[in-house]
Amino acid sequence: MARRILHVDYSLCIGCETCQSVCEFIHHGKPHIRIYYTESGLPIPINCRHCEKAPCMNVCPSNAIYKDTDGAVIIDPKKCIGCLMCLAVCPFGAPSYEARLKVVTKCDMCADRRRVGLEPACSEMCPAEAIFFGRPEEVEDEIRRRTAEKIARERISSTVMESIGRIL
Amino acid sequence: MKGMRFAFLCREKPEPTGKKVAIIGAGPAGLSAAGYLVCHGHEVHVYDKLPEPGGLMLFGIPEFRIPIYRVRKGYEELENVFEVKFFPKTKVAFGNGEEEGDEFVENIVNFNELVEKYDAVLIATGTWESWMPNIEGIELDGVYPALDYLFKIKSAKLGHMSWDKVPPIDGKRVMVVGAGHTAVDAAMESLLLGAEKVYMSYRRTIREAPAGAYEINLLKQRGVKWLELTVPVRIIGEHGKVIAIELQKCKLGEPDESGRRRPIPIEGSNFQIDVDYVVFAVGQRPTPPFAEDVGIAVDKKGRIVVDSRHMTSREGVFAAGDVVIGPSKVGRAVLDGLLAAESMHMWLLGR
Ligand SMILES: Cc1cc2nc3c(=O)[nH]c(=O)nc-3n(C[C@H](O)[C@H](O)[C@H](O)COP(=O)(O)OP(=O)(O)OC[C@H]3O[C@@H](n4cnc5c(N)ncnc54)[C@H](O)[C@@H]3O)c2cc1C
Ligand code: SF4
Ligand code: SF4
Repeated sequence: MARRILHVDYSLCIGCETCQSVCEFIHHGKPHIRIYYTESGLPIPINCRHCEKAPCMNVCPSNAIYKDTDGAVIIDPKKCIGCLMCLAVCPFGAPSYEARLKVVTKCDMCADRRRVGLEPACSEMCPAEAIFFGRPEEVEDEIRRRTAEKIARERISSTVMESIGRIL
Repeated sequence: MKGMRFAFLCREKPEPTGKKVAIIGAGPAGLSAAGYLVCHGHEVHVYDKLPEPGGLMLFGIPEFRIPIYRVRKGYEELENVFEVKFFPKTKVAFGNGEEEGDEFVENIVNFNELVEKYDAVLIATGTWESWMPNIEGIELDGVYPALDYLFKIKSAKLGHMSWDKVPPIDGKRVMVVGAGHTAVDAAMESLLLGAEKVYMSYRRTIREAPAGAYEINLLKQRGVKWLELTVPVRIIGEHGKVIAIELQKCKLGEPDESGRRRPIPIEGSNFQIDVDYVVFAVGQRPTPPFAEDVGIAVDKKGRIVVDSRHMTSREGVFAAGDVVIGPSKVGRAVLDGLLAAESMHMWLLGR
């Protein structure tokens, strides 16, 4: 299968927490994407970015982390020894210790859903369309289309009011 | 351009269970519950008093936050693929008088009769009553609850209302009172529609602003005059129309029950600002689809009381979203809708 990417665009996110909610619902109370509010009050969704050269995969001493055919980086709970080295090296702090199972878990790009032809729930439900899923060229196309819309709106509103900022 | 997939749990309709469910209110709570229920084989009918489904995602939150197509394509999928039946412009009520957002209502359905017709009912009617402070001049022309102000703008943008029913904003001076999502959006929409000057009055400081300092700073950068530690004490009118507002300065005292420091007005610090509109975004109250006793308990803030299954005090009637939790967020309403739908499914199957 072709490489898929799950991309969160932080400039489009409105911090509504819908991604976290649906992820929490399908994982029975434990979301793998969470919104954090920075000191300046900006909401930022944090989740695994399924790195191409994943540091977590390289560092894992028990080879518990692998890539599936869509390019999702996945932790095998049977092989994980819970040493937290993946968390130590992940640039986003994505892996999370599951006390009940005594292993580390994280976003698997909705592996069960992809198996039956569904897409990651966060991207299907985000009201702002800030989360994209698909082949890289599809996702990039969508992002550029959204950006074009932003630019159009900025130009139109600037005839009404000068110096409208960048998010419009 | 894809829509929100409210039925994100499945691709197509499963075998029907033969059970029929009514949902009152097509906001994020009602629509995500509808999505869950159709994915579990139930027939779903959704009633809403507005001309199209979406709730505040379409009729409150500005489109620069949530694109209109995202919501429209979302409910269209529910309708076309999952055969959800929508009853727009239909208010469900029992003893309710005229309420905010009633402009489009063409049919009124009796709440008790609706409950009789279905195997289960979900109430997801949100918080559509705005708090208005009891101050001099509140009845003047040019004073609006923020929800009503934004609702009119969005209704016109969506093509349901003609622009001459929307207060003209181009060249006007607007005072927005409050510092939550609704206040921020009212200020931003005013700027976008060409207001000459936008002021924001908040009784605490930017640090306590519920919308977060980031959003307030963004508005300040765009020229909004931020007046923290002020409260409106009276609105001044001429020939029945707003011409100015009188504010009083405050200082922060001891923390109140919410843990935030209580604003204390400072004697003799009053000042006036000339404005054309005063927009109050100081809170909303839950609006259940009944005003008289229908056997459903509400608490002292007007929120519907539910048990751990999301069931109200009336058997078979469930509730979710802001009408239960008070004004919250889209994501919170979505989760509540999903959890309620899951319980309804269990209850319908007798588990
Ligand atoms: C201006 C504004 C900006 C906001 N911005 C954000 C934001 O940026 N991010 C965020 O996460 N949240 C935001 N929120 C909050 C968010 O919109 C709500 O928390 C969320 O929509 C609640 O969902 P709900 O389904 O419970 O109710 P609602 O979305 O309010 O939907 C309730 C529906 O019930 C219908 N209804 C009510 N009474 C009846 C009746 N008697 N009969 C039939 N139908 C009825 C209404 O027409 C409405 O469609 C904002 C809210 C406002 C007002
Ligand atoms: S659902 Fe989308 S807009 Fe909402 S918090 Fe998540 S990424 Fe941001
Ligand atoms: S867990 Fe961290 S390092 Fe590993 S793939 Fe995800 S984002 Fe990259």
